[in-house]
Amino acid sequence: MIKRERKRLAAIAVVALVIAVAVILTSLYSLGPVERADFLTKIKKLVIFGSISGSVFALLALGFTLIYGVADVVNMSHGAFYMLGAYAFSVFLTSLGYHPLTNQSSFLLFAALILAAVFIGLVGIVVYRLLIHPIIEDTLSVLVITIGVTLMLHQIMLLMFGDKNLPVRKLLEGTINPFGTTVTYHEILSVVLSFSLISVLWIFITRSKIGGAMRAAAQDREVATLMGINTERLYMLTMAISASLAAIAGILLSPPAASPVLRDWTYPLVMSFAIVVVGGLGSIKGSLVGAFIIGFAEKSIPIFFPGGSFLKGAIALIVMVVVLLLRPKGLFGKRVEAE
Amino acid sequence: MVRYFFRRIYSSFVTNVFDVPSKLLALLLFMLLLVIPATRPSSYVLLILIIAYIYALFAASWDLLVGRAGQVSLGHALFFGIAAYTSAILSKFYGLPIWATIPLGMLLCALVALLLGFPSLRVKGPYLTLVTLAFPLILHTALFAFDPPVGGEYGIALPPRFFPRKFLLGTEFLAEYYLILFVMFISAIILYKIANSKTGIVLVSILDDESASKACGINVTKYKLLVFVLSALFAGLAGGLYAHSFGAIGSVSPGSVLGLTTSFYPIIMTIFGGIGTIYGPIVGAFSLWTLMEFFQFADELRVLIYISIIIIFILKWPKGVAKFVVEKLDELTEKRELEEREKKK
Repeated sequence: MIKRERKRLAAIAVVALVIAVAVILTSLYSLGPVERADFLTKIKKLVIFGSISGSVFALLALGFTLIYGVADVVNMSHGAFYMLGAYAFSVFLTSLGYHPLTNQSSFLLFAALILAAVFIGLVGIVVYRLLIHPIIEDTLSVLVITIGVTLMLHQIMLLMFGDKNLPVRKLLEGTINPFGTTVTYHEILSVVLSFSLISVLWIFITRSKIGGAMRAAAQDREVATLMGINTERLYMLTMAISASLAAIAGILLSPPAASPVLRDWTYPLVMSFAIVVVGGLGSIKGSLVGAFIIGFAEKSIPIFFPGGSFLKGAIALIVMVVVLLLRPKGLFGKRVEAE
Repeated sequence: MVRYFFRRIYSSFVTNVFDVPSKLLALLLFMLLLVIPATRPSSYVLLILIIAYIYALFAASWDLLVGRAGQVSLGHALFFGIAAYTSAILSKFYGLPIWATIPLGMLLCALVALLLGFPSLRVKGPYLTLVTLAFPLILHTALFAFDPPVGGEYGIALPPRFFPRKFLLGTEFLAEYYLILFVMFISAIILYKIANSKTGIVLVSILDDESASKACGINVTKYKLLVFVLSALFAGLAGGLYAHSFGAIGSVSPGSVLGLTTSFYPIIMTIFGGIGTIYGPIVGAFSLWTLMEFFQFADELRVLIYISIIIIFILKWPKGVAKFVVEKLDELTEKRELEEREKKK
């Protein structure tokens, strides 16, 4: 059953790829030389920037899918952790003595990154233990409580920092020019960082003992408890990992220094929804694939349709709705569920 | 004949409302809301109450869909927004009277619900929650594609009001207050009746176990669609009321009627009051809006205190405040009846 399912998915992917290549080739063939070069650069841009944002989105969505898969919690405060991560990074950076002009050691930047991730992880543990744990059986209450946490963190940030935008430093300065497009070192570093984090997490979940406990709890909470797994502590750990992943994504994906709208939790929240639903809730592989699909879709709007910038927010959701209508459980979700 | 008729109404009223403490309480609260304008409140207070009633209706319609049929939708703002926009556009730019535009908006909502319901009710559980969340956000961005008088960030400025200024009585919002109070009350009764009718029981069976109700020969898809459309109708009514009362003193903008928070409000209110009861969300909406105004002295900390209180209440009474009170009242009456019966013996 599962094997057939996989074969079908692979067939769909191959057909999609063939169609995409055919469309690209025919349009290349039909265009004039100048337009052809222009089109090629656009495609290059799409591939490069799509994979950059896709890899960071993967980090963001992984946390969301992890806490859903293990603890069955639809965590609406995931976007808030993302936002909080960027703020914490900025605060830790200034308190560690970083100064954009005088003291520019990149060691401090990484120290602040780790501190911020750990701090948000602790926040996640506190939120889980105090607020989510007492009502974890009731999905709707969890939904409302996490929405409440989001609004609360938003208010606290508003009170602490007001309307001013904290500068978010890039982890590395400088740019390179591969294939005629400008890519910053920060972006390359974020791709490397997210991939290494994802692979560490993958090994942790598939190889370690705690990871095995996580998978057991994901399959059946009660039986896992009977087997001697302390699910409460396990969920706390999962929440911590999920929150710190969101925080790191927040630091990596934050807009460069002077740009506004840092205090935004809706964008990452909606993005993680879209990715996770496209990939299938609770599936790690799925959220990786979903992140790249959404990343490419989002970047294709400003590259191919510069006029339709208003569509940028909606495209991820449109992709999500389309995928969901074709496959009601996402690409990698369980299709048949014993009820 | 007439006297007999009235006597029958009276006696059924006594047995159905007066002898049930929770219903009596609801009636008394309604009376209280009726006489509030007698204390000559400022128009600001009236406006707060008006918006509370609108959201009460909105949340009650959400409760019918989620509390009864278990189809957790996070995008109810879609219907609110569609109705508000339709009504505002038709009345402002096409000069139609408001009593015609609000039903038109509701009709459009029902159509949209029918169209979206077919595909989206196929998906289940958290997937349904997340896919419904997407619809209002997509419409939100789509509105930015239109030019300012209709689309754009600021939306439709100053749609026509229900009543011309200083209609009937001195205070500015008095007529609107009574209109919206009555509309809310009547729709709440209709929603309550639907929720407790045979259809409502079928809906609860879908909530409890979809496969089992399917096995019992219930056409699950039909009922899901029915409740989706009904819920959309009442959410549309709330949206239409909003456009011509609260929206009419500012604007009907995408942020105010289609944003994420608009979708979140009914959920918070319903869970606060008690899910699956219809009266729960009404109590929730009313208490939360008044609470919000009560904390005005706290100034900057207002929202923070407010959210903390909501969270504490939900942790303390996960079933909802109104449900808790009503259950306590029912318990008391049962006890009293038992005691009376024992005395008779």
